[in-house]
Amino acid sequence: MNTDLSSFKDLLTDYTELRCQENYSLVIGFLQGDNTTNTRLTTCGVSARVYKQGAWGFASYPGISAEGVEFVITTATRNASFLAAEDPRPAYSLPRGPVTNHRDEPGTANRPRPEHLVAFLKEIDNYMATKYPSLAGRAVTLNCSELNKTLLTSDGASAYSRLPRSLLKIDMTVEQAGAPVHLQEVFGGRGEFEDLFTTPAHLFPQIDWLYEHLMRKREGVFATAGLKTCILAPEITGILAHEAIGHTCEADLVLGGSIAGSHLGQPVASPLVSLVDFAHTALGETCPVPVFVDDEGTAAQDVPLIDHGVLKGFLHNKESARHFGVAPTGNARAFRFSDEPLIRMRNTAILPGTAELDEMIASLDDGYYLMRASNGQADSTSEFMFGVTLGYEVKNGKLGRAIKDTTISGLAFQVLQTVSEVSREFKWISGGMCGKKQLIPVGLGGPALKCQVMIGGR
Amino acid sequence: MEMKELNTYALQALAEAGAEKAETVLSNSEKTEMNLENGELKLVRTTVDHHWRLTALRGQQRGSMSINQVTAEALSPAVTEVMAIAAASAPDPAHDIAGYQRPKVFRKGETNPNLELMFQRLKTFTQEVSTRFPRIVLLSAQLDFTRSTTHFQNSNGVDFTVEQGAYNFSVMFSAKEGASSSSFNYSGFSVLNLEEELLNGGSLRILLDQADQGLAPRKAPGKFEGAVIIAPDCLEGFLHSLLGITISDGPLITGASLFKDKLNQPGASPLLTVVSQPLGPEIAHGYFITDDGYEAQNTTIIQDGILKTFLLSLYGANKTGLPRGVNDGGAFVVTPGQQSLAEIIKGVKKGILLTRFSGGTPSLNGDFSGIAKNSFYVADGAIQYPLNETMIAGNLISLFQEITAVSREQVNFGFALLPWIASQGVTIAAQ
Repeated sequence: MNTDLSSFKDLLTDYTELRCQENYSLVIGFLQGDNTTNTRLTTCGVSARVYKQGAWGFASYPGISAEGVEFVITTATRNASFLAAEDPRPAYSLPRGPVTNHRDEPGTANRPRPEHLVAFLKEIDNYMATKYPSLAGRAVTLNCSELNKTLLTSDGASAYSRLPRSLLKIDMTVEQAGAPVHLQEVFGGRGEFEDLFTTPAHLFPQIDWLYEHLMRKREGVFATAGLKTCILAPEITGILAHEAIGHTCEADLVLGGSIAGSHLGQPVASPLVSLVDFAHTALGETCPVPVFVDDEGTAAQDVPLIDHGVLKGFLHNKESARHFGVAPTGNARAFRFSDEPLIRMRNTAILPGTAELDEMIASLDDGYYLMRASNGQADSTSEFMFGVTLGYEVKNGKLGRAIKDTTISGLAFQVLQTVSEVSREFKWISGGMCGKKQLIPVGLGGPALKCQVMIGGR
Repeated sequence: MEMKELNTYALQALAEAGAEKAETVLSNSEKTEMNLENGELKLVRTTVDHHWRLTALRGQQRGSMSINQVTAEALSPAVTEVMAIAAASAPDPAHDIAGYQRPKVFRKGETNPNLELMFQRLKTFTQEVSTRFPRIVLLSAQLDFTRSTTHFQNSNGVDFTVEQGAYNFSVMFSAKEGASSSSFNYSGFSVLNLEEELLNGGSLRILLDQADQGLAPRKAPGKFEGAVIIAPDCLEGFLHSLLGITISDGPLITGASLFKDKLNQPGASPLLTVVSQPLGPEIAHGYFITDDGYEAQNTTIIQDGILKTFLLSLYGANKTGLPRGVNDGGAFVVTPGQQSLAEIIKGVKKGILLTRFSGGTPSLNGDFSGIAKNSFYVADGAIQYPLNETMIAGNLISLFQEITAVSREQVNFGFALLPWIASQGVTIAAQ
C-alpha cells in the first residue's frame, strides 16, 4: 500500500493532515500442541485532521477511495468549525518546518505461506513437548504485523512509511506444590518473518535457556520487600527509560503538571545517565521503530532528554512546540487510520557506559539481579512501576536463588540519582507496545544499570 | 448490497469455496467523540469503521480472517485467503461453531448522538470541576457516542442482529497546588443517554474529592501485613485478573488453573457473590451475543463464595469436556453487603484504602505486587492520610478468600456495578 495522495492536494484548504493507512497482522498460536489460532486482520482507511480557528477536527473512513477522502476532509473541517464556533479560542498558527518528503522502501507482496508458518511453530512446540515433558503448560505464538502509512499535509509534507515486525512468543509453565510457575520470552522484532527466523532449530538454545531459568524460578523465593540495590539487565533498562522518564517528558503531560516541567535544565540523574528518544538511527544502527517523518509531517529529530544527568528537553508535536517556543520534534504518532496523532515516544534509550555486567554483579554484596520485565506504568509524579518476571538474589557478588514474580517501583528522578554503574553492553527491546489512549509500537533500549529501587515482596 | 445481504453472501461464498462450517460477522460502527486536553476542549472526532470476520472450518481445520472493506470485490480474495489459512492449520476436533438458535434482533440505546448536548455536558463538567475542585487539573477527557450494528450468521442457521448505541465518558486528572502535584487518577462510565450531568456518573465525585485531598501524601509506616479496602474502580481489575487465571480457556486447557477442581466448591469468601450480567438492567454497556455466536445470558460466577461456573468458550469447553460458559464474562455485578463503607473503615486497625493499583500482571498462582496509587493509610478505624511510594503484595486467590466485609454502597460504571470490599493479609511496604 503506497497510495499517491497528491491528486487531493487542492482539497487541503485549511491546515490539514491527510493520511492513508493499512495495518496488517497475522497471529498463529499453539497451546498444548493444538493449533488454537490461525487468523489475519487487515484494516485500512483514510483520515484527515484539520486545524481551524484554533480548534481541531478529525474524521476517518474505512477503505481508500476518493469518496472516503472527500468525506474525511469535509467531516473533519465541519468538526473543527463546530468546536471553534461553540467554544471560541485564539487561533494561533502552528509552526511550519521545512517541507519534508520521505519514502521507505515498499515491502515485498509475497508473505510467507501459511503452511510454512504453521509447520515452523509446530516444530518448536514438538521440541518443547519432547525435550521437556514435565512442562505443565506450553504455548507458541507468532504475531507478524505491518504498518503502512501515506501522508500528505497542507504544509507540503509527504511521506510513505512502512514498519514490519515479527514477534515469536514462547510460554512455559511448570507446577510447584500444585501451583503454576510461568516464564515467557519474546523473540524477533523489526523485520519480516523470513529475515528474523531462519529455522526452528536456531531458537532451540534459547528455549533451553528459558527452561533452565524456569526450573530455577520453580524453586524461587519471594523478594524481600523494600529499597534494594539492584542491577537491572539491559532488557529491563529500556522499560525504565520509557516508563520512568519518557512519559514524564511528553509535552502534553508536562502541560498537565508532570514533575519534569519544573526540572528542565536541572540535574535529575547521576552524571552517568544520558537518555535519548531516538527518531530512527542510534549507535550506528537503525532503531526498532524508525520514524523519519511523524504523522504531522515533521521530520523526526533525536531528542536528548537527559544529558549526563541534566534534564534537557521534552517530546513535542506542533502544538506543544508552539506553546514552549521550540521546534517540533517529530513525536506526533497515530496507530490506526482512525486514530489522531498524539505525542508518543519512538525509541527511548539510556546510553551505554563503560562497566562490564559480570563485574557489576561481582561488586554487589546484597541485592538483586533483575533480568526480565512484564508490564509497566508511569505517573506524572515520575513514580513508575513495572513487573519483574525473572530475577535472582545477589549475595557477596554471586547470583543466588531465583525470585518469584515481583514488581519494582520508585520515583524516577530519585532512582536515577542512585545509578552508580552503567554497562557497556546495550540491548534494544523491539517488541514493545505503549498504551496512551491508543497503542503504538515503541523501541526500548539500554545498558545494565546498578541503582536502588523499591522491590515488592513479602 | 445491504450489509446483511453481503454477510449472507459471504457465508454462501465460504460454503462454495469448500468450508464445511462457516461463520461471518459483519459490524459497522460510527463514533462521535469530543476530546478535552488540559482543561480545554481540543478536538471533535468522527470515525466510521467496519469489521468483517470470516471463519471457515474444513476437516477439523480452522482459518479466520478480518477485513474492514465491506464490498463484494474485497470479499473474493478474503474467502480465498481464509480457505488457505484453514488448509494450512493443524486439525483439532475441538474447533466448532455455535449450534442453531432462533434468529433474533437485539436493540439498545439511541441511534444518533446529540452533539449539542454532548458539548453542553462536557462544558458543564469542566466548569463544575473547576468550581468544586479548584485544585484539580483535567489532564484529558473523552466523551463519545458510539453506535454499531452487527450481523452474526453461521452455517448452522445462527442469525443475530445487534444494534447498540451508548455514550462513554473517561477522564484522567490530578491535583496541583504550587509545586505540589498528586498522582494522576482516571475513571469512566457508560450510559444510554445524557440525562444526568457527567459529574454524577460512576465514581467521579468520590475520586475527584480524593485527588483534592491527595496533595500532601506520605509513606505508609514501614512494612506490615494489614487490611486492604478495595475501591470499586480497583475491584474490576482484580476480578478480571482472578477469573482470567482461574476459570477462562487458557488455564483450564493447560490445567494450570487452581480452580480446575473447584466447580460447586468454595473458591472465595462466603461474603462474595459475583454475577456477570451483560443483560442486566443496570448495565448500559453489556452485550447480547457471545464471541462464538451464542445468545448471551446472565450467569452467577460465585455465589456466597461457591464457584458456580467456568467461563469457557465453545472451543475451551470442547477441549476440556467441561461446560461452556453462557456468556463471555465481564459486566460484573457484585452483591452489596450489610455494612456501610464508613463502618468498614471503622473496623480497620491497620491497612489501606486502595483506590488505584499500578502493578505487574498477576502470576498464574495469583501472586501480585504493585504500587498503591491514589490510596490512603487507614489506622484505628479512620483514614489517616494519603499515601505515596507504598507497595502492596499478596495473592489474589487468598485476597478473595479472606474478605471480611462488602459495602452496601455500590458504584454503577455502566459496564459493572461494584461495591468496596475489605480483605486482609496483604503486605504493605513503604520505601
